[in-house]
Amino acid sequence: MAAPAYLGEFEQLLLLAILRLGAAAHGLDIARELEARAGRVVSRGALYTSLDRLEDKGLLRWKAAEGTPARNGLPRRLYIVTPAGMVALRASRDTLRRMWRGLDHLFEETP
Amino acid sequence: MTPPDPPRLAEWLLRRTLPAGARGESIVGDLVEDWREAGATPRATLRFWRHALSLSLRYSVRRPRPRDQFPDRSEHMFLDNLRNDLRYAIRSYVKAPTFTLIILTTLALGIGASTAIFSMVNGILLQPLPLPDPDRLVYANEVNGKGVIISLAWPNYVDWRARARSFESLANSREEAYTLTGVDRAQRLRGRRVTGNFFQTLGVSPSLGRGFTDEDDRPNTPPAVVVSDPFWRTQLGADPAIIGRILRINDLAHTVVGVLPRGFQFVRPYDVFVSMGPMAAQRNLLDRGNHMGFYALGRLKPGVTVEAAAAELQSIAASLERDYPNTNTGVGVRGERLADRLVTDIRLTLLVLFGAVGFLLLIACVNVANLLVARGAARQHELAVRAALGGGRLRLASQMLVESTLISIAGGALGVGVGAWLLQALIAVAPEGIPRIEAVRLDGAALLFALGAAAVCGIVFGALPAFQASAAGGQQALVRGRAAGFASRSHRLRRGLMVAETALALVLLTGAGLMMRTLHELTQVETGFRADHLVTTRFVLAGEQWTRPKRIAFYDELQSRLRALPGVTDAAFTYSLPIDGSNWNSIFIVGDKPVPPRAQLPSAAFTPVSAGYFETMGMRLIRGRFFDATDTATSPKVTVINESLAKRLWPGEEAVGKRLKQGWPETPSDWREVVGVVADVKLNGVAAETPMQAYLPLPHEPSESMAIVVRAQGDPAAAGPAIESAMQQLNKDLPLFQIRTMDDVLGTSLARQRMSMLVFVVFAVVALTLASVGLYGVVAHGVTERMHEIGVRIALGAERRHVLGLIIRQGLSMALLGTAIGVGGAMALSRWIQSLLFGVTATDPATLGAVIAMLLAVAVVACTVPAWRATRVDPTAALRAE
Repeated sequence: MAAPAYLGEFEQLLLLAILRLGAAAHGLDIARELEARAGRVVSRGALYTSLDRLEDKGLLRWKAAEGTPARNGLPRRLYIVTPAGMVALRASRDTLRRMWRGLDHLFEETP
Repeated sequence: MTPPDPPRLAEWLLRRTLPAGARGESIVGDLVEDWREAGATPRATLRFWRHALSLSLRYSVRRPRPRDQFPDRSEHMFLDNLRNDLRYAIRSYVKAPTFTLIILTTLALGIGASTAIFSMVNGILLQPLPLPDPDRLVYANEVNGKGVIISLAWPNYVDWRARARSFESLANSREEAYTLTGVDRAQRLRGRRVTGNFFQTLGVSPSLGRGFTDEDDRPNTPPAVVVSDPFWRTQLGADPAIIGRILRINDLAHTVVGVLPRGFQFVRPYDVFVSMGPMAAQRNLLDRGNHMGFYALGRLKPGVTVEAAAAELQSIAASLERDYPNTNTGVGVRGERLADRLVTDIRLTLLVLFGAVGFLLLIACVNVANLLVARGAARQHELAVRAALGGGRLRLASQMLVESTLISIAGGALGVGVGAWLLQALIAVAPEGIPRIEAVRLDGAALLFALGAAAVCGIVFGALPAFQASAAGGQQALVRGRAAGFASRSHRLRRGLMVAETALALVLLTGAGLMMRTLHELTQVETGFRADHLVTTRFVLAGEQWTRPKRIAFYDELQSRLRALPGVTDAAFTYSLPIDGSNWNSIFIVGDKPVPPRAQLPSAAFTPVSAGYFETMGMRLIRGRFFDATDTATSPKVTVINESLAKRLWPGEEAVGKRLKQGWPETPSDWREVVGVVADVKLNGVAAETPMQAYLPLPHEPSESMAIVVRAQGDPAAAGPAIESAMQQLNKDLPLFQIRTMDDVLGTSLARQRMSMLVFVVFAVVALTLASVGLYGVVAHGVTERMHEIGVRIALGAERRHVLGLIIRQGLSMALLGTAIGVGGAMALSRWIQSLLFGVTATDPATLGAVIAMLLAVAVVACTVPAWRATRVDPTAALRAE
């Protein structure tokens, strides 16, 4: 793998949410994290298909965990970001940083 | 506590669409957990559903993950392919929403409109009458020497019945209006006087009590009535013990002997059927020269054709003519299938509309094909790549077929919705009195029709791009050269389709133009009276207590009360209203001319009217005088004739002062002196020629059935209640019926033409829109394809206006060719539409010219937009792009 995979904005948000949640990151928590922190309501269709796509790109992995009665005993998927995912995130962050450099004053609030 | 369950159906949907195993199950688990934590409220359930729908939509259009896909499915190759094709098709349609929307709208309009019209045709023309063996029912009556229907004289019917061998039974009946009294408020009933064998002939037996028998035809049998199911339910409280009860009909006690089954209907929704007995001994009924509105209804013996039966009646009529030359000379027979007779007036209109909608559907199909071909051309590269990678031709073609079938079915489903809505609208604008319109609905046959139309669109018109796709040569199309044969071939196909579409649109536009001209001509017809501010209504003075003097006195009293009403300018009575038609036509002779042979005696509509009638109607006096207060019951017999009669009988002579006499030369009726000539008024609708008409003073002919005409100062409809209460004060047992303004009467008489016009105009507008969108698409596509060439031309010094001209010329050449073909088509179809027209011929050059100009103007606009874009081509950019 030469260059790190390109990440869309939503993909970045997903990976960051997983990192923030730590070991217990499952679908519902990720959706709530995005809603609470990024202030956006995510359609479940977009959420899970994007997670699948990130998995296909090798940027995250998941393992199944036992279900609780509250979810009718259905399993839960716990996501972790793979090393490739970390590389991609870092590349995205660096790109953004480079682009932002020297522009911050444009957005500084004047008290 | 066991936790509540989330919505089952949504869960089932998810399990169908999500991937198997922990991948899918965990998603469902997340939703369930979220739902429970939100308290399992209705709001949470709604969210569950929203998530479920978004998930199943996403996952069903998503390309299957290679890892999910693999396990042991190879044996379901065909289904797998189909599933993949479907998935792929949905994805590609979702990705191009504008394209998809245009196709769906086109299909929904085409299929919807044709389904609605088909439902009308099916319900009114195709469905068998809801009677046993309806094809053996024959409607028969007499016609005079000119072929005009004159109903059936009673004695002739008696002879038909005795001699005819073609029928199992031969009944007779006529429509009558009755007044029902002895109830809270006197009521007008619609009914039919029928012979004893009438229900037996129809094959209907009452659900309660009995039908009539031959016994009921005898004059000394007590009057009997059979009531309809709706009348029994709404007016008689569905009383199961109704048999034997007495109803006072036209002031005569009638015994209820039967209730008809629910859903039974003959010609119109009647309230009651009354036995012949009470009128069987009337002298005028037994006069062979009187045609009193009776129509025979026969049930054929098995194996006898309608033609054979009609021929037999004709031969009976011929022998009656020999036996009774005084009354039966020139009298023939017209007999036809009952089902045909019912729809005589509307059949042609419906068939022409059905033809028109067929054209619309064709245009829609051509447009869809056009769009699909364009899309196929745009996808040539993709298809070529797939072919090069080993996609079989059949496989690629089947993919295209799946795509077009899918969109056709979606369009068909939308079309059914549009059709249901259109059908409602059509029934709302349909003229009054269309038979069987209450039976029209969007039924299984209509759904089948819509499905068929959708399938034809999908398969036939999807086959074009599919064929194209399978013909895509691999390497040839892979090389994205401007000269690739594929693109120009598809463009030729699209140009051909465009020509066809323009031609079809022209035919529809011509139809719409002719219908508009027809309606315009009809509204311009000189009716001979002033329809504004006129309101009319009818009543009947039925029963033995209404003797002649009593009727005359009543009319006088009512007229003075009506004239005294506030806001009323004038009020008068007439036996028959203009436009509405007359039901008293009679032959007559004149005093100063030789009497012609019996078959050639002239006939006129005789119309008793009160003093003030001509003034109230705003009719024009040509010679002599109107009726006035000097025309009393005892004054000399006089008549006012219309201009047609004066011109026909006394051309170039002074008609006033001449004499005429109603009836045969030997009839002992009075001679009447012509005292006035008035301008013609349209008597039977607006389109028909005005017949000869003779008005009689009401005191000389105080008919029982009367129409009131009132001229109001303000809104004529507002005068209705005042007229009703004036009538109530005078006599509470006289119900008024058919309260209408004269403008409504005129409007109703044009309802059929108005419906045809509306439908045609809507179709034509849709057709024109589709054609212009199609033309725009083809020209724009052509411009894109020739971008390089245009760039070269401009670089070599071609002026922009030359480029503009070049593109517009090319687009217009299609439109012109289509127009030429369309004009030919319109000419070829002209004879079908001619009989629906008035005041304009089907090949009217002015209409054709206007239509052609309009179509070409729209075509110029549709071509100019992309042509203008072509002139903006930047030569350097166009050349560099290669």
